[in-house]
Amino acid sequence: MNIQISHLTMTYPTGKTALRDVGLELKSPALIGLLGPNGAGKSTLMKLLTASLLPTAGTIAVDGQPLDKQERRLKASLGYLPQSFGLYDELTVWQFLDYMAALKGIRDSKPTIEAAICATNLEEKRKSPIRALSGGQRQRVGIAQALLGDPELLILDEPTVGLDPEERIAFRNLFSRMAQERLVLLSTHIIEDVQSVCNQLIVIHQGSVRFIGTPSQLIAMAEGHVGVFDETDQAQEAGLHITSRVNTARGVACRAVAEALPAFVTRTEPTLEDAYLYLISKEGAQ
Amino acid sequence: MSAPRRFRLELGRLLRGRVTWAVILLTVLSPLAGLTVYRPIASSSAGQYVTSMQGMYLANPALAGGLIGAVAFAVLTAWDLDRVKRGGMEALTDAVVTPLSAAWTRLGALLSLSALTQAVTMLAWLPWTAYALGAVFDLGSYCLIYMVFMYGALPLAVLLSAAAYQFTRRLDLALLMSAAFAALSLTLWSMKWQLCWLNPVVLDISDDFSNHRVLASAAWLRLTWLAALAGLWGLSYLCLRRYGKGPLGSFRQNARRVYRPALATALLVCAGFLYTGQPFLDHSEPEFDYNFLMPDEFLDTVTCSSRYADVRPNPATGRVYGTAVYQLINTSGTQQDIQFRLNPGYAVTSVRANGADVPYVLGTREAMNQRGLAVTLPADEEIELAIDYGGYPQEWNTGGMVMGDREISDAYMALENEVLAPILYDVPQTGDTLPAVIDLTLPGQMTPVPFGPAEAEPLRDNGDGTTWRVQDEGGSSIIFAGDYVREDILAENAGLTVQFYYSQKHQLIMEAADAAGSVRRAIEYCTQHIGPLSFYGDGVFKLIENRGGGGGYAANGASLANELDFTAQNLGDSSKGGAPEEVMLHELIHQWWGLGNMFDPYDEDGAWSAEGLTCYTTYRMVKEFYGEETARREYVERWREDVDNYYKDFYVRHPEYLAALPEQYQADIANSLRSVRQYSEMPLKILKAEELVGGEEAMDEILSGLFNRELDWMYPYLTYQEFLDACGLTEEALTLD
Repeated sequence: MNIQISHLTMTYPTGKTALRDVGLELKSPALIGLLGPNGAGKSTLMKLLTASLLPTAGTIAVDGQPLDKQERRLKASLGYLPQSFGLYDELTVWQFLDYMAALKGIRDSKPTIEAAICATNLEEKRKSPIRALSGGQRQRVGIAQALLGDPELLILDEPTVGLDPEERIAFRNLFSRMAQERLVLLSTHIIEDVQSVCNQLIVIHQGSVRFIGTPSQLIAMAEGHVGVFDETDQAQEAGLHITSRVNTARGVACRAVAEALPAFVTRTEPTLEDAYLYLISKEGAQ
Repeated sequence: MSAPRRFRLELGRLLRGRVTWAVILLTVLSPLAGLTVYRPIASSSAGQYVTSMQGMYLANPALAGGLIGAVAFAVLTAWDLDRVKRGGMEALTDAVVTPLSAAWTRLGALLSLSALTQAVTMLAWLPWTAYALGAVFDLGSYCLIYMVFMYGALPLAVLLSAAAYQFTRRLDLALLMSAAFAALSLTLWSMKWQLCWLNPVVLDISDDFSNHRVLASAAWLRLTWLAALAGLWGLSYLCLRRYGKGPLGSFRQNARRVYRPALATALLVCAGFLYTGQPFLDHSEPEFDYNFLMPDEFLDTVTCSSRYADVRPNPATGRVYGTAVYQLINTSGTQQDIQFRLNPGYAVTSVRANGADVPYVLGTREAMNQRGLAVTLPADEEIELAIDYGGYPQEWNTGGMVMGDREISDAYMALENEVLAPILYDVPQTGDTLPAVIDLTLPGQMTPVPFGPAEAEPLRDNGDGTTWRVQDEGGSSIIFAGDYVREDILAENAGLTVQFYYSQKHQLIMEAADAAGSVRRAIEYCTQHIGPLSFYGDGVFKLIENRGGGGGYAANGASLANELDFTAQNLGDSSKGGAPEEVMLHELIHQWWGLGNMFDPYDEDGAWSAEGLTCYTTYRMVKEFYGEETARREYVERWREDVDNYYKDFYVRHPEYLAALPEQYQADIANSLRSVRQYSEMPLKILKAEELVGGEEAMDEILSGLFNRELDWMYPYLTYQEFLDACGLTEEALTLD
């Protein structure tokens, strides 16, 4: 699948412009991480990609065809997990997945439901009513429904929210495996998730794409802009974007990013989180 | 996409919800309300709840089921649609199917659920209804009445509520809009049969005959609203929110596929056509115009020497077709324009004079359930004028309600006057009488009963039916037809034979109530004590059971008896008599003291009514036939007990509390109290008057005088004051102790 996004702009009826002149090319197979602060426009982009919204300007083409002409085809080949969603509490896990499989038009649904249940570790809960599930289990049901039908395009908005670390790792690995033969778009705040599995990153800030590349390219951008120091005076923080503060016996050990690091800061290897924060803070400063 | 599977799973999802089951349970139980608190079909001729057995145990429960079920399904629909939004399920579903597609599936599931609930309701109530209706139960009527009266409302409620929700996307507003629309149907539109979408106007349901027109009109109402609300749903479907747009933006987006708005518009237009093109009621002007029925002056150059009609009703379609032939004499030597009157539902396909087509104009004006037909006669002196006519006979639109009076089915036909054949308007008859021959082709099981002295004889067997010949006289004729049983009863003391025609369905009940004996005794007793009925024929008097409400209408040699008089329920009504035979007597005495012929049908509120004198006369007959002790025990003591209880009643002693009750309760209690005054207090007063005037013979003389009094045609009804004056008493004198 090839998704070509050109000059995409989305302004809501309230007047708020969520995306401005966005241009992207998404090709499968890939696991693309979508990063950006709250309100950056990530969810809007995802809704546009699932045809839940129509852009104010610009186009989205799926395999060369405009999305508005391909809506049915796209929906049939889409697995989508929204950031917030509801489930029919009166149904069991199996019934709900069967219902969603029917909506997706999957004819022989049993194997795909079975596979989704196994992939999301819900075997023991398949006959449980959804109302009896915990928050994490509900999130897994949400992921399971996205996996139904072996979709060509998987769009996951904050999929690991509410999951315990073990589950998060398991799902990261699952997404990674799935991305071997399809396009997976993963929006998250959890940098660690992205760092672990994404081979491509898109950073959106204030409605515009600020970075497209691999995680290592983003990290490389932050080389020489990340450092540590032991804080002796709060005034030292001026001009720095503090990314962590740890109270130690010697005082407060700080990690900071900045365009130009002062002399008292010892340069260090940037992480993806540092790089992301560096990028965002740089944009903010501009 | 596998739409059937999606739909099945959507239905399955609904069926797993607790709210759904509460709605199903409420709907299944809702016919109970029709047996107790919501009983729209009730005879207006009495101050108490009286209707046919099917009205009581089938139609009223079905109507209540329709009303309550519709409300329940409207709530379920809005609640379920809103739940998808409120619970965030649409975030998932909208990503895999378009909201338009999801709306279809949800609507289909809700409509199927309503059908399923209806089926369960009908199955649940079947055994009890069959038991309660006894001899008058038939499965076909049961299914039809439940389907039209109850099920007809449920999809309408689903469509309305879904449309309201899809327009507003708010549960509260959707419920409010649905409630307002239902309230309109129950209040302002309640007596407008084409508007009251929720609660169809059903004035009566027949046990013994058929209900085709009433059912067809209710089905027409449902169909009209189904088209209208489906169209409305179609518009709301176009407003389904998509792509983050508001209702107008979504409308513009969804309406890009032209067939969508076109289909919604077509449905609305179709509803408009169904509304304006209803075939049941005419468009007569509201004012009475007797001149339209009868001219001031007849033509003096054209007369009619005889008439013939070959009438071929089609019970399957409810239509009547016929050819009417008139032998006319035109002495003018020139062309003449003459006029006929016929039913507004009829069309004329050809008019021929002596075999040649002649010009004619079917009038556009309709008055008093008739329309004019103008025919230009040739200058010939002797003319045989043949008119081919036919169509769906329409009822008079007075009150805007379908009464079922023009029933044409294989169980009952009422072919009255201009429904049977065109009536000459301005052409007088040549001689003293106008001979008329009517050939009427009926299904095999039907017997025609001419209303009047004429007899019907079989003319030929057509294999699938019989053509009957009726030799009649006069400018118009009335013929009823049904599966009648005829019982000839010799009433020697009245000097006549009563031909009693009643429905075969009622034969067992009639025999159990000794109908023949009651008829003979009532006719003999009342003729001797009160006087002969003015409409006795020449030694033969037909008493014909007719369909639905009404009855008492009489002409030379015949009178109609309301079928409601002979229901098992009515014959067991202890307020009218101690036993079914006595109730039968009571109803027959109404031929003398009847509503509409002796008592003002529009004055129902007072104690003075047709029931007082009828109850008194029944008591007198029971006293004569069964002895004083029985009459005292069964009548006088019960009247006293009822009246004692009446004056102890809380609401009689404190009418201010009655006035404070809701209107429906007020009406129910007032009806019940009024019936005590009419059925018990007034007979007691008449009994007291009997004592004061000097006994039974004196009272008989007074009543005979009142019965045979000279009528004031401006107000031909017997008043209480006239009764008091005839007795030489005052109201105070009749005050009970």
